[in-house]
Amino acid sequence: MTEADGSWRTQIAGVMRLELRKSFFSRRGLWIYLLAFGPALLYLIHAIDVTRDHEHRQALLASHPVSSSALHLIRKDMTQEQVEELLGEPYLKNEFHQNGRRRGQDFAIYHYTDGESDLTVVLADDAVVNINEQDRCNLTKDSAIFATVFQFFYLRLAVFFGCVGIFTNLFRGEMLDKSLHFYLLAPMRREILLAGKYLAGLSAAVAIFTAGTALQIAALSWHFEPGQVAAYLQGTGWHDIAAYLGVTALACAGYGSIFLAAGLLFSNPILPATVVMLWESINIFLPAALKKISVIFYLQALCPVVAAPESDTPALLKVLISSTEFPPRWLAITGLTVVMLLVLGVAAARARRLEINYGTE
Amino acid sequence: MSDDCVVFDNVSRFYGEVLGVNRVTLSIPPGITSLVGPNGSGKTTLMNLMAGLVRPTRGQIRVLGIAPDDPQHLCRMLGYSTQFDSFPRGLTGYQLVASFLRLFGFDRAKCDRLARAAIERLRMGEAADRKVAAYSKGMRQRIKLALAIAHDPRVLVLDEPLNGLDPLVRSETIALFRECAAAGRHVIVSSHVLHEVDQISDQVILLSNGYVVAEGQIQGVRGEIQDRPMQVLIRSNRPSLLAARMFQQDHVVEARLAEDGGAVLIKTRDADRFYRALNVLALDGIDGIDIEGVMPADDNVNSVYEYLIGGEGSR
Repeated sequence: MTEADGSWRTQIAGVMRLELRKSFFSRRGLWIYLLAFGPALLYLIHAIDVTRDHEHRQALLASHPVSSSALHLIRKDMTQEQVEELLGEPYLKNEFHQNGRRRGQDFAIYHYTDGESDLTVVLADDAVVNINEQDRCNLTKDSAIFATVFQFFYLRLAVFFGCVGIFTNLFRGEMLDKSLHFYLLAPMRREILLAGKYLAGLSAAVAIFTAGTALQIAALSWHFEPGQVAAYLQGTGWHDIAAYLGVTALACAGYGSIFLAAGLLFSNPILPATVVMLWESINIFLPAALKKISVIFYLQALCPVVAAPESDTPALLKVLISSTEFPPRWLAITGLTVVMLLVLGVAAARARRLEINYGTE
Repeated sequence: MSDDCVVFDNVSRFYGEVLGVNRVTLSIPPGITSLVGPNGSGKTTLMNLMAGLVRPTRGQIRVLGIAPDDPQHLCRMLGYSTQFDSFPRGLTGYQLVASFLRLFGFDRAKCDRLARAAIERLRMGEAADRKVAAYSKGMRQRIKLALAIAHDPRVLVLDEPLNGLDPLVRSETIALFRECAAAGRHVIVSSHVLHEVDQISDQVILLSNGYVVAEGQIQGVRGEIQDRPMQVLIRSNRPSLLAARMFQQDHVVEARLAEDGGAVLIKTRDADRFYRALNVLALDGIDGIDIEGVMPADDNVNSVYEYLIGGEGSR
């Protein structure tokens, strides 16, 4: 038998075939599906809730008809009579008396709906003192919410821990199962084995998590009118969806390389996973040079909607946030690829020296 | 270093502060070579070293001129049946062997042909499409052997290959080793039971506490230790009847049921006669006795080595 008998492509395909089965169907990895598809389920529940709420508003509108234009004519200091003259009887009315220091006040809260928005009018002693309008969800508002959830939950937690589960298992799991010798007794370079395992893990992670992203977007837009969705897609919609799917895939590639290396370098990958998570979490506070040695920095640069830090972030922390400009898209992809290749290089060096030592695992 | 031999040149391997093997210098020629020693003597470490699964702390190894840290060349001519019973999950016996061959870069047709040939050679054809996870100990042992021989290697390294095999398969497996050796290949077998391998070996290497204490032809030694009773555990569907049958033999000094009730522990003074009697029983199936597995259970093996070390002179 000669070297020419063996094609490295066939070897990679052989490794991938075995590993894909493990990555997709391992009982040990069921929680990864929960992480990937849990958010889509929450969006679906939200969509069902919004749809039912809309139907409820439509029913209220039928029993208490109000026009949208009239709803927007309500101003502060209007009297109760003027409000009722414009909008009619509210579908819900709460009245109560509040005792003050000098004298008591009579309050009334009127609820109206035009079938889309909810208007809450607060009257004190027969005069409007507060107006609160709650819009029905719209795609612009939901896109901003999605951007925040995607960047602060999905990428940093779901994809991150999903990659911990998939990629650390590729070598460490086999050490624990005492089955790694199966691969090490095959005539292939360890780099080929590493590439096969990485590509298998990456294929599984990308399939699971991009499907999760796609389902979230589908669930999020499910309750909107088809016309609204079509308009969104013709605008920035398709571009945004492609960007989110691409960012998800790149997150799998970046975090995957890190956790593949962690599985080779550490007996207990939880420790490096915790350190990497902390490093990624404090990324916004790091100086520009250090920011670049992370995955999330490049991923954020590629997200179509920038998610601002939450409004309730303490002032002191807001001061500490480093305001580095995100790099252009091509540079972000290049930077992420460089980080990934460096980490895979370290993993390959470790794989070359890998030994079977099941007894100490 | 000879390109025809498996050569260890002053090889040591330590696991932290624990000794695996120390200062091993060997040259293993073609033919059947047995590594014999009690548990923990360094047999598996020596085998792992020649297969490249562990690296030497000191010294150099060459397998037919190839260094074990060159797996893409080494593993084409070396097949290793390890002591580990774990395999990638969810595969049938055929899928396991064929998947392993795919890692050699062979095309599907070649993988299929080689896998089926290896499986048939180990008489596993009927079980080939069953999941490995459902295999018995003996079947697992055989599928490991099929994995090791599937690519027709020049060097076969087999860690305790006869463990758990029933007498019939045991003799077929030994015939396979002999066939490979006759074809000029290296067959390196480990065992902690001297009797098990000394009849089939061209050369025996005795190990104790990580050191090679003797090597060469040692058939003569067997005669000297024959007066020491040997213990064998036999798994059977009718252990009580088997115990009664075996106890009728004059060389059997003790026969008692194992704690789990599915096996019988036999103590014999004459291993040759014992195995002959067992083979007759297994082949004829007398009284419906079905032998499921035979496993040496000699608690006294350490004393045998102490005896040998003293007799041959330690290094």
